[in-house]
Amino acid sequence: MPSAARLIERRLVWRGLLIALLIALPACRQATHTLVLAAALLPSELPPYRAVLSAFEHDTGWRVVVVPQQYADIRRALAAEATAGSGTLDLVELDIYSLAAAAADVAVLDEAALGDELAALIPSAVRVGDVDGLRFLPHRLTWQALIYNHAVLGAPPRTWDELLAVARAHPGRIGIKGALYEGLTCDVLPFVWSAGGSALAFDDPGTRAAFHFLAALAPSLNPQSAVFREASIAEAMARGEIVLELNWPFAMSLFADQGLAPQPIRSAPLPAGPAGAATVLGGGYLAIPRGAPHATAALGLARFLLSAPVQRELHQRLGWFSARRDVAPTGDETLLAGFAAMRDAVRARPEIADYPLLSRLWQEAFRAVAFEHVDPDTALATAARRWNAERRAAPSPQG
Amino acid sequence: MVALLATLLAYPVLYAVRLAFTDPLTGHFPSLVNYAQLGRDALFWRAVRNNALLPLASVVVELVVGLALALFLSRRFPGRAALRALVVIPFALPEIVVLTIMRYIFVRRGYANAALAAVGWPALDWLTPGSALAWITVVLVDAWHVTPVMFLILLAALAGIPAEIGEAAQLDGAGPLARFRYMTLPLLRPALLAAVLLRGVDALRIFATPLVLTGVEGVPVLSSYAYHQWSDYGNDAAAAAAALVLALASVALSVPLLRLREAA
Repeated sequence: MPSAARLIERRLVWRGLLIALLIALPACRQATHTLVLAAALLPSELPPYRAVLSAFEHDTGWRVVVVPQQYADIRRALAAEATAGSGTLDLVELDIYSLAAAAADVAVLDEAALGDELAALIPSAVRVGDVDGLRFLPHRLTWQALIYNHAVLGAPPRTWDELLAVARAHPGRIGIKGALYEGLTCDVLPFVWSAGGSALAFDDPGTRAAFHFLAALAPSLNPQSAVFREASIAEAMARGEIVLELNWPFAMSLFADQGLAPQPIRSAPLPAGPAGAATVLGGGYLAIPRGAPHATAALGLARFLLSAPVQRELHQRLGWFSARRDVAPTGDETLLAGFAAMRDAVRARPEIADYPLLSRLWQEAFRAVAFEHVDPDTALATAARRWNAERRAAPSPQG
Repeated sequence: MVALLATLLAYPVLYAVRLAFTDPLTGHFPSLVNYAQLGRDALFWRAVRNNALLPLASVVVELVVGLALALFLSRRFPGRAALRALVVIPFALPEIVVLTIMRYIFVRRGYANAALAAVGWPALDWLTPGSALAWITVVLVDAWHVTPVMFLILLAALAGIPAEIGEAAQLDGAGPLARFRYMTLPLLRPALLAAVLLRGVDALRIFATPLVLTGVEGVPVLSSYAYHQWSDYGNDAAAAAAALVLALASVALSVPLLRLREAA
């Protein structure tokens, strides 16, 4: 028979365990009220973005865990969770050019639940997110502009002729993101479009004119252009090794943080070619994974992120451009002036199944001309031949 | 244990092999479409060529410098312990730290060109993509980082050679070069082969040095090419195909080296 003291001791232990359980239960409840959002944020972008989310957390009681990752890693995590049939991601941000490939891994959205926020978006931006049903919502839009060293150049080149003159006056100090990756396609297509060419045609007169211009520009390119990417070209600009480049708005934020913008580094519209100026549409779209643990709450978070006050705040704090018609660019006049001026010249890349091959062929054609000194017509003919031989789907009329 | 090995080793390897022979668009298996794609890619062939030559050059530099350092630091003299520690430091540093520092040294406006300018010499493009100088820079940086491995193996082997043998040879009138050629080198042969085997196979996997210093396209190797396919194009199948080529090359190289070592 246990003694009275033993019984009291046992009761105390049980009561202690009960109290611990009562303390732990709310914590567990809180854990189930957590939304996980994976977004492509730079370290410098995370604190302002988190600050914007605090209003959502306060109003709804949901805690939002923001996982900053690169687009490619978000895409892989999404695919892995789709294969597993379950996961932890509630909301993801995907690069605009990977939407078609990711469509099978995300849910079709309830348009009625989005209500006014959907109606306020630019229809063409919404259409991009419609892949067999509305699956993606434009979180932010972005595009490239010219970034130049104002202290060295004085004024930015406004036309191709002026660009060529600047390049010849500053040999080796013109930068292009010439590594074999999507960023190079984003640098090449504006030239093709500015000459009246098509992103789907390697052999039309506009494309040939663009490549002949690029061949004339090539001797003035910085040798590191063959491996430049967004970050490394910005580094070279900051070190003063180059005086001119094409890049996304984030680069201006980096320069501003380093005290290099708006002086000496500024942004300007891309130089206009024979058919005007053009730039590639980029940006991040929100989607709810097929196996999202809290799909309804995630839709609420997406709706919050697309609301006018939040989009306005993201534009002001981070320089992001909004897809809402009622949020016009009002950013720093000197810092993002070049980007704001390019708003009407933005064009989407072709939305076709064979886009990865098409993009790779543009990259290879440019590198052949710029770094291997291949005749532009020969490089384009090679690309056209490969495009016709290797593509697996019928070409689309877009582009 | 077998289940653990199967889970952690066999399954990922078999999955990668399957991926390498799967058409990424249709899912058809087996398919050679990934290898056909690699065969058409000039960057892949540059990576294959570099993966054959770069480790060879790097191991030769490491062998020569590592042996010279081991011979020098096996002698007794004041400050020897401090010098030995100094020689090992590059290997003790995390690779990414070494490479970040090296990048700052060798960029166009980096410390190396600042030093050249200080003595009135023209600046050099140490890392210009595709240039011979970039290739040499990668070899030297890689060798600098890993030579301590070669040095430590050879130093341990030198310590195992009885001093009496050298003294006897000296009494018989053998000079330093003759002692090295006919005594030290034959006795070091097993250690040299072990070091070359270890570093030779390891050097084939070279990845971060060319990638950080020159980017994927500057001095491509098979591992950075596979990373490029995976990271830039999201083409896991082409990445697996390239990685499989590298794995087979590693096995193909290690078998004759192992036989050579057993024979020694």
